[in-house]
Amino acid sequence: MATQPASIERAPRPARLPRAAVPGWRREQQRSFALGLIPALLVLVAITLGPTIYLIITSLTPLDPVHPHSATDFSDPAGNYRALIADARFLNSLWVQMKLSVATVAAQLAIGLGVALLLNAGSRFLEAVRTAFILPMVLPPIVVAVVWKVIFTPDVSPVHRMLAAIGLPVHSLIADPAMALWAIAVADTWEWFPFTMLMALAALQMIPGEPIDAARIDGAGRLALFRYILFPYLRPTLVVAGLFRLIDSIKAFPLIYVLTNGGPGTATEVTNYYAFVESFNFSYWGYGSAIATLMVAGVLLLSWIIGHLGQGAERDE
Amino acid sequence: MAVLGRRLRRRQFLQAGAATAGALILPGRAPAQAGSKPLSGITLNIACWSSPYAKLLSDYVPQFQEATGAKVNYETPSFPIYNQRTDVELSTGGSSYDVLNVTFIYIGRWIGAGWFVPLDGYLKDPQKTPADWEPDDFLPGATAAFKNPAGRLYAIPWTADIYMGGAARYDLFEKAGKPMPDTFDELADTMKAVHMKDGVPGFLPENHYGWSFIPFLQGYGGNVFRDPPEDLTPVLDTPEAIAAAEFFAKLLHDYGPDGAISYTYEQVVATLKAGRANYSPNGQIFLVQMGAKDSKVANTCNFSMCPAGPKGRFPGVATHGWGIPTGSKNKDAAWQFITWALSKPLIRQMVAERGYSSITRRSLIDSPEFKGKLTVNGHDIVKIYLDTIELGTRGYMKYRTIYVYPQVDKQIDIAIQNIASGQMSAAQAMRQAQQNSLAELQRAGIKL
Repeated sequence: MATQPASIERAPRPARLPRAAVPGWRREQQRSFALGLIPALLVLVAITLGPTIYLIITSLTPLDPVHPHSATDFSDPAGNYRALIADARFLNSLWVQMKLSVATVAAQLAIGLGVALLLNAGSRFLEAVRTAFILPMVLPPIVVAVVWKVIFTPDVSPVHRMLAAIGLPVHSLIADPAMALWAIAVADTWEWFPFTMLMALAALQMIPGEPIDAARIDGAGRLALFRYILFPYLRPTLVVAGLFRLIDSIKAFPLIYVLTNGGPGTATEVTNYYAFVESFNFSYWGYGSAIATLMVAGVLLLSWIIGHLGQGAERDE
Repeated sequence: MAVLGRRLRRRQFLQAGAATAGALILPGRAPAQAGSKPLSGITLNIACWSSPYAKLLSDYVPQFQEATGAKVNYETPSFPIYNQRTDVELSTGGSSYDVLNVTFIYIGRWIGAGWFVPLDGYLKDPQKTPADWEPDDFLPGATAAFKNPAGRLYAIPWTADIYMGGAARYDLFEKAGKPMPDTFDELADTMKAVHMKDGVPGFLPENHYGWSFIPFLQGYGGNVFRDPPEDLTPVLDTPEAIAAAEFFAKLLHDYGPDGAISYTYEQVVATLKAGRANYSPNGQIFLVQMGAKDSKVANTCNFSMCPAGPKGRFPGVATHGWGIPTGSKNKDAAWQFITWALSKPLIRQMVAERGYSSITRRSLIDSPEFKGKLTVNGHDIVKIYLDTIELGTRGYMKYRTIYVYPQVDKQIDIAIQNIASGQMSAAQAMRQAQQNSLAELQRAGIKL
């Protein structure tokens, strides 16, 4: 099994020319290109970095719109962050967030990959099935939330009624503190596994036939074929898909808002939702901004770590 | 003849409504000249939370548009979404809306911050408010809530909602030999007797416990703040508060439907109307819908005052009102909308045609039309309504207009959920609510 996936072979990086060796007209051309890029970069900075910088600045104030002067009160810039460290509800929200993210990303990768492997063949029937699987992903998130609200409300749920009819009654999952988070994870997985499925399917269809044929001739079974041929090709794609889903899981909102409102108690209150409550229920915009700033930092750190792991995986291959 | 009579009444109402609108729009001129459409070209953006009144009013807004020529964009999002959106809109000085509902629990915050314009000037100006509009006709208790300490009025109440008890399947009470409960003990006893009879769960309040639990808290002798508005120290961990939380959460846990803590006010109404839950302590504006034509329990429902606890009876009295945000660019037109929406002819029409039950004009509360409509399944709700409003004048609702109440309200929601779902004991949950409320109030800069 020495076959190397073609897609992860790296071309040698071209050697950088010494500055003196670059012709003058080329330097002039590069300068012109850079000047031409400046307006676009300025717009980019204004619409992406600008709000982020404002968020960070706001997090250094006790901004509450009832007291407009608090927007420029920098007398205790670390106050919000100090309070967050001692805020049990914030710390609980991080733990809830971690459980939800790990569960949903793992489930979506596993189910998405499994379904992609099943659907990786050319037939009109399978194409139709693929289209059907994509439906949850293209529904507006609030519609998905309402669908699952009905499913999880025993009083009106066809699933609960069916289970009760066959002698397997199930209590309300979203009102059970031990189950509510997992109920949300199920709904989130239903909504987003098609994304990982599509990514994996696209990667599967890019794999050349030769190494697979060679492995089969060598007597590789299905499991060995997956482990030594398909998975190495798929791994970079799965890392990227996982990264996307991880970042998205941290932004989870509609399902929690509609299904549990963060409850029972604070059993499903993720960090994102807690920031929303502090900002928009209580109008502590400074405090909410501090939570959001920490979330941005966390997402950036996670992206860097996973990106790094992905590159490491490529090098290992 | 009955049909003809109904048509005539409807026509009379429409004529009266158009005449009032005309009189308001063109003061001093004959109503017949109202066809000049004085608000042509003006667009009014109006929002209220999705209360039964707000939804009813949307059906009548075309009348206002027809009479005035104004274009009206009218929104009714759900209660939490409305409040969050409006809070952001007002706090950023936005000018997106011309008429907004002043939500009861946000009165202190929104009016205190100066985000609404005082209406006294409009009320005193005969060019803008005709004498027969009678501002003094509104219930003084409801109007008082919208006044600042200086006595200036910032909103006109469109509802005086009272907290009462409603049974969807009173026939099951009768079979069990139980009357409508008048005390907490009777309530617990009755719920035990009727729970799951005919497959119907006994007890279902809405999961906004900062509203539905407070009459129990106060009935046990507890309160939200020590002495509002002077002393805003939360008192959620007192023995009385813990006993009340334990009692209420037990009712929810033992006699509620599966997943009771996830039921919003709209779900509660739908469930009661379908006969899938029996008794609910809630606002009368919601409970009277059990008598609606599309209700399966119209012939079995019954009503009573909020039960009394060991320390007395403390039914919630809530009011909401129409106000004009300071950012509005069409303030005069906005006032015309408010005067139209709360004019006697229109309110009378809404009562007669749609059974609107939560009115704030005393002259209409005393009218035969209103009394007729508020007799549901043979039960007189007007008496409950007036008696409860009278109780509300004792001042126990002061906690609700404190500008930081929304923060504490959320802690109460969480505490009751924690107890009812078995995550914490009543003592633990209420102590946590107390600590978190203290932290939130200190974050708001309140010295305790």
